[in-house]
Amino acid sequence: MAIIQTGVSEKLVAPWAEWAERYREGRRLLEAGTYALTEGAIAAGCRVFAGYPITPATDIAEYMSKRLPQVGGYYMQAEDELAGMHMCAGASLGGLKAMTATSGPGFTLMHDAYGWAITNEIPLVVVDAMRVGPISGITGAPGQGEFYVARYCTHGGNIETIVLSPNSVQESFWLTIDAFNLAERFRTVVTILTDQVISDMFEDLFLPRDYAELADIVVPRRHNLTMPFYPLNSDAIDVPPNIVGKGTGVCVSAYTHTEEGYDIEEMEAQWAQTYRLVNKIRHHREEILRYEAVGLEDAEVIAVAYGAASRTVKTGVLEARRRGVKAGFLRLISLWPFADELFERDARYLVCELNYDGQLVREVMRAAPDKRKVHFMGKSAELHTVAEVAAALEGVARRDRIPELPYIWTEVR
Amino acid sequence: MNKLAAKYLRPSQIPTKACHGCGIGMIENWLLQAIDELGLKQDEVIFGTGIGCVGRQTFATWGGDNFGATHGRAIAVATGLKVAQPDKKYLIVVGDGDAAAIGTSHLIHAARRNLGVTVICEDNMGYESTGGQFSPTTPAGYVTNSSPYGMVEPSFDPCDIVKAAGATFVAETTATQWHQTVKIVKKALQNDGFSFVHVRFPCNENFGAYALGTRDTLKNLEWIWEHTQGRTVDGKETDFTWETGIKHDASNSRPEFSKILRDMNERVRAQMAEKGPGDGKH
Repeated sequence: MAIIQTGVSEKLVAPWAEWAERYREGRRLLEAGTYALTEGAIAAGCRVFAGYPITPATDIAEYMSKRLPQVGGYYMQAEDELAGMHMCAGASLGGLKAMTATSGPGFTLMHDAYGWAITNEIPLVVVDAMRVGPISGITGAPGQGEFYVARYCTHGGNIETIVLSPNSVQESFWLTIDAFNLAERFRTVVTILTDQVISDMFEDLFLPRDYAELADIVVPRRHNLTMPFYPLNSDAIDVPPNIVGKGTGVCVSAYTHTEEGYDIEEMEAQWAQTYRLVNKIRHHREEILRYEAVGLEDAEVIAVAYGAASRTVKTGVLEARRRGVKAGFLRLISLWPFADELFERDARYLVCELNYDGQLVREVMRAAPDKRKVHFMGKSAELHTVAEVAAALEGVARRDRIPELPYIWTEVR
Repeated sequence: MNKLAAKYLRPSQIPTKACHGCGIGMIENWLLQAIDELGLKQDEVIFGTGIGCVGRQTFATWGGDNFGATHGRAIAVATGLKVAQPDKKYLIVVGDGDAAAIGTSHLIHAARRNLGVTVICEDNMGYESTGGQFSPTTPAGYVTNSSPYGMVEPSFDPCDIVKAAGATFVAETTATQWHQTVKIVKKALQNDGFSFVHVRFPCNENFGAYALGTRDTLKNLEWIWEHTQGRTVDGKETDFTWETGIKHDASNSRPEFSKILRDMNERVRAQMAEKGPGDGKH
């Protein structure tokens, strides 16, 4: 379908908007999202992968098992996802950048390790290639069921999390480098929420000829060799991560800790630790915000999506504009911390996501000035069609309601 | 503080929070003796623990680098650490919950991989920090706070499990066997591979009080001693017997896990140097 795009502003707010320009010269491949993600990790300096095979993330493990030994890294196949992420946390504590990859059923098993890595400020990247659920669901169909699970990736509260989501093979490469950079800078776990479509599909992929060229964009691993190991009551970022094995005397544990890392059961220590874990991210939200926008300046109805769903939704927006609807498109790339500032306009919103229960839509309802103007368009196990999105945008713009469409849920309870 | 503790531990973290008469401090002292006799320095040993009595009482006591993992995962964390820091000795001090219940899968697979760490399973035969519930190592029939009519499940011996899984050094001892324990821990630390040492010790507050009917440390130690001998002090046969001593010693007989990975990397990179990296295709 030919789309006339004249007069529509397009904006990509992400570091790779500029990186892609700088590294235009390179190798051109036809590759899958899992391949791009693996290469992004290798380019970012990832030297340990420990995980458990699961569809649709298995290919990442296979590519890693081939690539890591070639660059002096280590591939470990764990006894379960819980072990896998703990192994990665151990490797990162030992000074190596590490990543694991899984899908929903394995992601659920990682909550234990998430809490441990976050509280101890261990940089890690975790990939969740979402498939439709609950539980095993359909292994070869896309879903977006872990929007909140990725935010609340462990128990006990008192944390903020960084979650990113790509929507193309090329973006999977750059976004993975970006995820490693954020993990290092914020000393935390960065989650990449991709999905079955973006993982498995093949697209054009441009890779830099030599990853050494990326030295000025990759944040290297540094080591904190002195006290304080945990700067309490501080929101500072770019603090070097701690290292075990250099004789610094650092202590790492699951407990509320002092700045030495000793376990302590005092409220002041709990508050000081929470201040840091929450505010090192909240106070630097502008460093994390990544999104793509189309035609927002005159839009009366804005379609909101991320990941695989955003691809057909974007085309649907352009189709609606062709039909005379003042439609806009907003794709969230950084899902958490949630970009409240993007929803300040008192417009109508059409939130399209791959689940029937409605997850992203709840955050949009919270952030938008008038939640009655926020509409939900949920599909399960398959993408929205362009025709459905265009029809829904027309309906919302002209009659303030989504027309009845089969297999689409619109109710948010 | 004794001489060994002054040499190796952190004054600020000693004494630990252990209950009166707990065996954990005594065993830790024996571990220090083994470390000292091997001439190891603080920064050569990484001290890892889990959750529960053993985790909470020993975490951060070691003067070098420490980690206290989530419950059962100390060995999984150590797997990643060993790959990143292969030249260190790892002393993973955990309880029966960590090793024989919630973290058994990591124990088994670390043994299978021959990961170069020494796991000391300090076993007080139940979940004592939560108030004395039975664990997989509580002797069958004994009364605990979650088996008021006697524990109906059979127990198992973690040494059998790790031996079957491929551990290269396996030993069992108790808090009543000082010299044997030091000798065993020294041998365990000299194995460049997976070593497992099972040490039973008394809990006066819970296991002693509810299963044995006494909070008397000496009586509880005596009960353990009797079961290593198969005879009570008055010459009667005990209800069961624990065989202690070295149960399996194949130290340094097969390559350590992180070394296998490093050797593979060298092979792959030598091949690449010879043939070139290829076109990057899979």
